[in-house]
Amino acid sequence: MPHLEPQQRAMALNKLLSLGQLDLLRNNSGLLYRLKDTQSASKMKGSDNQEKLVYQIIEDAGNKGIWSRDIRFKSNLPLTEINKILKNLESKKLIKAVKSVAASKKKVYMLYNLQPDRTVTGGAWYSDQDFESEFVEVLNQQCFKFLQSKAEAARDGKQSPMVQRNSSFATSHEVWKYICELGISKVDLSMDDIETILNTLIYDGKVEMTVIAAKEGTVGSVDGQMKLYRGVNAILQPTGLVKTPCGLCPVFHDCHEGGEISPSSCIYMSEWLDF
Amino acid sequence: MTAQEIRLCGLLLQEHFGEVVEKVGTHLLRRGAQNLRTIVQETNLSVNLVKKCLCVLVQHGACCFTSGRKGPGSPTEYRACSDRILRVLRYPRYIYTAKTLYGDTGELIIEELLQRGHMTMSGTVKTVADRLTQNMEEGHSMDYSEVSSAFSKLVETHFLQRCPPVGGAGTSGTTAPAAAPAAAATPAAAVSVAPPTPESFPECYSVPHVSLIGRGKRQLVPENGEDQRNAKRAKMDTETHGDEGIHWQVNFERFHQHFRDQAIISAVANKLDQTSSEIVRTILRMSEVTTSATAACTKPLSANEVFRSLPASYNIPRHILDQYLTLLVDDPMEFVGKTGESGGGMFVVNLHRALANLARATVESIVQERFGSRSARIFRLLLRKRHLEQKQVEDFAMIPAKEAKDMLYTLLSHNLVQLQEIPKTPDFAPSRTFYLYTVNQLPTARMLLQNCYKTVANLIERRLFETKENKRLLEKSQRIEAILASLQASGAEPEQLSEVEEMISAPEKQQLDVLKLHVNKLDSAENQVDETIFILESYVSSTSTS
Repeated sequence: MPHLEPQQRAMALNKLLSLGQLDLLRNNSGLLYRLKDTQSASKMKGSDNQEKLVYQIIEDAGNKGIWSRDIRFKSNLPLTEINKILKNLESKKLIKAVKSVAASKKKVYMLYNLQPDRTVTGGAWYSDQDFESEFVEVLNQQCFKFLQSKAEAARDGKQSPMVQRNSSFATSHEVWKYICELGISKVDLSMDDIETILNTLIYDGKVEMTVIAAKEGTVGSVDGQMKLYRGVNAILQPTGLVKTPCGLCPVFHDCHEGGEISPSSCIYMSEWLDF
Repeated sequence: MTAQEIRLCGLLLQEHFGEVVEKVGTHLLRRGAQNLRTIVQETNLSVNLVKKCLCVLVQHGACCFTSGRKGPGSPTEYRACSDRILRVLRYPRYIYTAKTLYGDTGELIIEELLQRGHMTMSGTVKTVADRLTQNMEEGHSMDYSEVSSAFSKLVETHFLQRCPPVGGAGTSGTTAPAAAPAAAATPAAAVSVAPPTPESFPECYSVPHVSLIGRGKRQLVPENGEDQRNAKRAKMDTETHGDEGIHWQVNFERFHQHFRDQAIISAVANKLDQTSSEIVRTILRMSEVTTSATAACTKPLSANEVFRSLPASYNIPRHILDQYLTLLVDDPMEFVGKTGESGGGMFVVNLHRALANLARATVESIVQERFGSRSARIFRLLLRKRHLEQKQVEDFAMIPAKEAKDMLYTLLSHNLVQLQEIPKTPDFAPSRTFYLYTVNQLPTARMLLQNCYKTVANLIERRLFETKENKRLLEKSQRIEAILASLQASGAEPEQLSEVEEMISAPEKQQLDVLKLHVNKLDSAENQVDETIFILESYVSSTSTS
């Protein structure tokens, strides 16, 4: 706007700022001004500066939300004021409180229309702050059955061993599709979720995983790699020690000859011998 | 030499050699190397008794003697080795293996040698032939040559070895002439401190030329008194066969190699399939005698050799074999490794790594059976990821926080899981320290090994207790059996026999049956725990040498 003098420009800008029509931002070269759209400008009408400040802080926190103590630090306002403002904003339906899954007493505040982030709600495995263990168990078993049946089909195929092994592998994408088609999940599961389930199967010793290089663009590849999973059998039968009562005895360390608990008077042994 | 090991050794010595030997043996195990005078003083036994006990222990290799610590003139010191005594637990497994590999003849040869400790070849052959003849029909007898050939086969595959000859320099030790048979080894002061291993002698596995012609003799129906006396004393043969002074003993290391190979083969069969396990079996068979007991992997074999040595029943084409070998190499268990490309690929079996994997599977299965599959999941997770915080454990294992905490603390209290503290500040303030859970495989394996020893000792004690409880009943049944046998031999009538049989009442018979069932169960349980002991022991010893 070359026809205005700098001073007049500055005065006009300041007036617009105080009316709340402009946003003040800063970047490397200097100050920037942005026109606020009228809708958001009307929202804040009737609120004073403090509320606007708090609202801005919460907006900046994005969808992770922000804790009330952090709001206090950032705005330097006393606790009572903060609480009043938060109640006000909540009643105007501008912000909402979401309980965090990490610490159940903590409440984080975020804008009303934002979806809370995964870290706060815990993602697909938590519904209302409760860890859904049966859901996880069911998924666990379904994935395992799928991989096991694939491995058996490969074994019955009686082809050359290389082909057999390769066909017993399933990519994480295939497992994901299978689970989605099964429809046992009310929530949409992503491939990462399925991978965490498959990892628990690895820790159960029922499944093993390899990573292969895949072309970019093939279905299910992430950064040029694909994870393959395969059902396996245990390499050892349950070992000899656990076939005796001593291997499973809860008072193993208290047992001595001649004591209260001794092999001669062991009730577990008597039961086991009469079995 | 832990307390549990000493307790178990004491029980084994008592069962197999008697109380006096047990007293001397446990005393030596507890106190280390001692000379004769000290042993006599501290065990309050007569000198002759102690001498005889020491002879028995030396004969079986459980005790070795060295010159005294104070110099060449001091009395010999005796030291007991617990390893050798613990092998007694494994005797049934050795005998069974010999039976599967070499038939009844092999079984009896191994049994005789295990019972006697050391024996000459001629003595063994004769005894075994006699025993086999006993069980054959009238008119048949066992030829010595068959038994000799079985003996030679055992030596060829290194299951038997010569006892190392003891050095003959000046005798400062005093040991009574052996009461046990054929012990021509007069213990003299050995030249070096450590006893020479059998393998350091070049003729360890060479069969001597023995002229043994004849057949086994059937034992006649004995007169009562004479038989009792002869049973204890060995028949001192007046014939000589040209192999005096060459004594043979069972080569335990070779049997252990065999067991280890079997464990690896069955693991491969479980994990992959039958054909892969056959391939691994072939590779192991070809490297049986070329691999030392402590080697980390077998000697490299080319794929061509493997192909040629496959059993004829497995008609697989060459490219399929290559595929199987590639699969074995790629398997995460790493049983087989590839060391080169010549000859179609050079392959080795990674013995130490296989043992580590087997030990890991054993430990995992113990945790699973004892604490449940979710705790086993946490345990495996920690084995894989080494160090994890509590929150990470919950996330990876997908177990609710409360339960995960409970399980972790249970495992921690049983010492299966350890806690590692990493402080953020120099004072270890709890709020500013990282607490990481971790599992160390080797110390855990050692701890479980000690638990196994305690378990076996408990089982033995329970068995002794059960037999002691029913001692009266057992003695009665033995008396009745003896009466029955003598009546039958002298040709009694059926009425007399049935009269004698009725001396045992029905409930007593039932009690006897129950007792037999219990004792059998306890015995088989001991053997099963011994399998676990074998894997854990092999793993621990393999890590100490590497």
